[in-house]
Amino acid sequence: MERTGTEERARREGLAGGVEGFNERARRALADPELHDSIALFTRKTLKGRAARLAELPDAPELRERAYHIKQETMANLDRYLGQMADAVEARGGRVFFARTGEDVVRYVGELAREKGAKVITKSKSMATEEIELNRRLEEEYGELGLEVVETDLGEWIAQLAGDAPSHIVAPIMHMNRHQIARVLSRVAGEPLPPDVRALAGFARRRLREKFLAADIGISGANFGVAETGTVCLVTNEGNGRLVTSVPPVHVVVMGIEKLVPRFEDLEVFVQLLARNGTGQKLTVYTSFITGPRQEGELDGPEEFHLILMDNGRSKLLGTEFEEALYCIRCGSCLNVCPVYRQTGGHAYGSTYSGPIGAVITPLLKGDREAKDLPHASSLCGACWETCPVGIPLHDLLLKLRNRQVEEGLAGKAQEIAFKGFEEAVERPALYRAGARLGRAAQRPLVRDGSLRRLPPPLSGWTDFRDLPPLAERSFRELWREGID
Amino acid sequence: MRAALFIPCYVDLINPEVGVSVVRVLRRLGVEVVYPEGQTCCGQPAFNSGFFDEARGAARHFLAVFGRERFDYVVCPSGSCTTMVSHYYPFLFRELPEELEVAEGVGGRVREFSDFLANVLGAEDFGARLEGRAVFHCGCHQRRELGVLEEPQRILRNVEGLELVDWENEELCCGFGGTFSVKMPEVSVAMADEKIRALERSGADTLVSCDPSCLLHLKGRLDRTGHGTRVLHLAQVLDPRRGRVE
Amino acid sequence: MRREEFLESIRHRTRYGRYQPTKAPDASWTPREGRGRVEIGDPPSRFLEELEALGGHGRRAEGWEEARDYVVELAREAGARLLVRWDVEELERLGADGPLRKAGVEVAVWRDLGDFREVAGRADIGLSTAEWAIAETGSLVLESGPGKGRTVAILPPVYVAVVPAERVVGTVSEAIRMYAGRGSLPQNLCFHTGPSRSGDIEQSLATGVHGPGEVHVVLVG
Repeated sequence: MERTGTEERARREGLAGGVEGFNERARRALADPELHDSIALFTRKTLKGRAARLAELPDAPELRERAYHIKQETMANLDRYLGQMADAVEARGGRVFFARTGEDVVRYVGELAREKGAKVITKSKSMATEEIELNRRLEEEYGELGLEVVETDLGEWIAQLAGDAPSHIVAPIMHMNRHQIARVLSRVAGEPLPPDVRALAGFARRRLREKFLAADIGISGANFGVAETGTVCLVTNEGNGRLVTSVPPVHVVVMGIEKLVPRFEDLEVFVQLLARNGTGQKLTVYTSFITGPRQEGELDGPEEFHLILMDNGRSKLLGTEFEEALYCIRCGSCLNVCPVYRQTGGHAYGSTYSGPIGAVITPLLKGDREAKDLPHASSLCGACWETCPVGIPLHDLLLKLRNRQVEEGLAGKAQEIAFKGFEEAVERPALYRAGARLGRAAQRPLVRDGSLRRLPPPLSGWTDFRDLPPLAERSFRELWREGID
Repeated sequence: MRAALFIPCYVDLINPEVGVSVVRVLRRLGVEVVYPEGQTCCGQPAFNSGFFDEARGAARHFLAVFGRERFDYVVCPSGSCTTMVSHYYPFLFRELPEELEVAEGVGGRVREFSDFLANVLGAEDFGARLEGRAVFHCGCHQRRELGVLEEPQRILRNVEGLELVDWENEELCCGFGGTFSVKMPEVSVAMADEKIRALERSGADTLVSCDPSCLLHLKGRLDRTGHGTRVLHLAQVLDPRRGRVE
Repeated sequence: MRREEFLESIRHRTRYGRYQPTKAPDASWTPREGRGRVEIGDPPSRFLEELEALGGHGRRAEGWEEARDYVVELAREAGARLLVRWDVEELERLGADGPLRKAGVEVAVWRDLGDFREVAGRADIGLSTAEWAIAETGSLVLESGPGKGRTVAILPPVYVAVVPAERVVGTVSEAIRMYAGRGSLPQNLCFHTGPSRSGDIEQSLATGVHGPGEVHVVLVG
């Protein structure tokens, strides 16, 4: 790519508001027809399942309202519910750690591994641990322990082996096809494996079984936490969650503080919404409710249970107009309906969380500067809000994030001037009309075959790919004044 | 029945024929149509880019223009602009009670064109004629905020000679999204291409919508890619002269 | 970070600034009794239907003998050498140990096991009962406890549960409500729904990735 081309594009995008990162990554994704097919296939299947499962629930709209209100109640009293959860876990013989940052979590787990002399750690899928890059940081900061941290969710494991990042909250390697997967696993197997689902899955089962049985510590996330009983609810399809939390002598849960619900019976709402909305199932294969360490007389199950309650920027949102972003149950449904995600896939977002929810919480958790482009990676169509089982107005939150950027001066001088000018023109009809007349004159040399084919930046973004009709010779207002018959 | 016309800025300046058709259709139904002087733009471009203060400036001007006289209805041939006034003006003024009251007053009286025809005038058959096979594209705001999805389709089914067909992915956004269309042009166009593929598979030769902004974007791409698809606003379908002025 | 500090900073946030959401779902919610109660006429039949639809194998046995025969036949067909089972009264009553051993299948009971990983990890079949079953979804409700190993239902590639038919309840909601407000939950409660599955490889279904790929449920009575 020539420097001048990149510079030109950057300059143009600077004028249009700074969405360099996303656009760059999106362009790569758009040039990949296999990716497009993978995404289309996945979303079609999942949405079909979702529609069927929701049709079976006569009270689906009410479940959604209940979910919203339960989450609202939870956030309004989060300190109390967190305290209650901690008490309940400790009453059952578990240990609770309050982690302000990702670093706190890494340190706790690292020190625990050191204390236990752990060598193998199995992990079930946890977005929270990906968010804080737990695996990489354990490797870096506790390298001397010689820890082997193994992702056991099939998709996450393959991604880990491929050195790739997950691209979807629920289906991490949705972007890979069987040939790519076969290549990765063949490398690991040390022999060629056929691009056949059964063969690849069979290999995964055999290889990971060793790890499941050898693990010293199992780390999981939590889909939900119940304050009343100290219960962690885990939802999986493969069984790796069960194995990670039942076999090793130590079980560590890393849970975002927003995952809490007040009462066990509240799970009735969430467990159904998560499965039906997220994967188009009535229930996932294994819906587990885990409370503390094993009890007297039990032969399996963890002897030690550690619950890490992680903040990592979430509490900043409480009581603000962005609080609803915390109501998310990570079902992935918004990704499936997003027309932008449909074209670009998850990697374009450049963040742990992609799609509409990713575009909202990444700037909220990491800061506007770090994720400047994400709130703009949307046409604000509202499909995400429509599908969200908790009713989070994601499209409005994106708009508010755009406004926040403007308030913080991140929109760039060019845009600020442009929209100030826009406001002036719009408030003064005479100026507006004068501008139109000017435009009509200025466009004449640019009109070719009745259409504007090339315009200067930022409008070149339009004309590079689309025709644009010229300003009409007579505006509607002028026609009206002449009389319309 | 007296109704004020709210003509979106790009209809005023680029596609005035849409406005002309609206006037003709309403007058034929016996509506006295008024065009409040001085209207410019509802402010949505600034709003969608996060420039809420500037959007408020535009909104105040709009409310002043449409507040000069108490209209029973303000009719707008754009789902997205209607939503801007009815849903987002109250949001913009949520912390300014006096202006909020004005915004809610006017906002409550703004109706999208097909909504006005079907639900206020109770009219769905206009004796219109158009030969062809059409698909209907519902703008996202119109679908999700206004909930006016069925009315335009019922109206189209009554058009003689016109076969209204389904198309895949009909609920997907066309990719316009206002400034999104120039800020993220490749993604915007990829979204349009997804809709165009569905259009091709449906065998339709005509694309109709109640959102001229969606049509601007889709027609722009259809023309650039050599499709000869006829693109019309619903009002033009109902106007035998399609908005042309001799 | 210390608990009090952590909770106080959160309390501070929630106390100052209570944002009014603009897009909250409209109707206010009042709890309603019997909500979500889908009328299920014949729970055991519905259970078996749902299980089969998921690729599990279901059987309605008139009595314990029929159930026992099913289990023994299953072990024989699977060419099993080791079966591990829960140490519970229902399975004593099932009386499958004798016939299994006679058929050349070693039976390990979940009691005094030493290293459970050794046993459950080697077993070809896991056998348990269930507290409840859920008709709506074809799920088993499994509680852990003394004699009731979690890994019996998770490590062996084949899993069979023998459950009295009257334990089938209607819906997920009902099942959850049975444990709500109960006071003391088992350490591990699991709604186990059909064979283990993964759609991660091109959204094609792969069963038996990690958990048992073959799941059998015999409802007795």
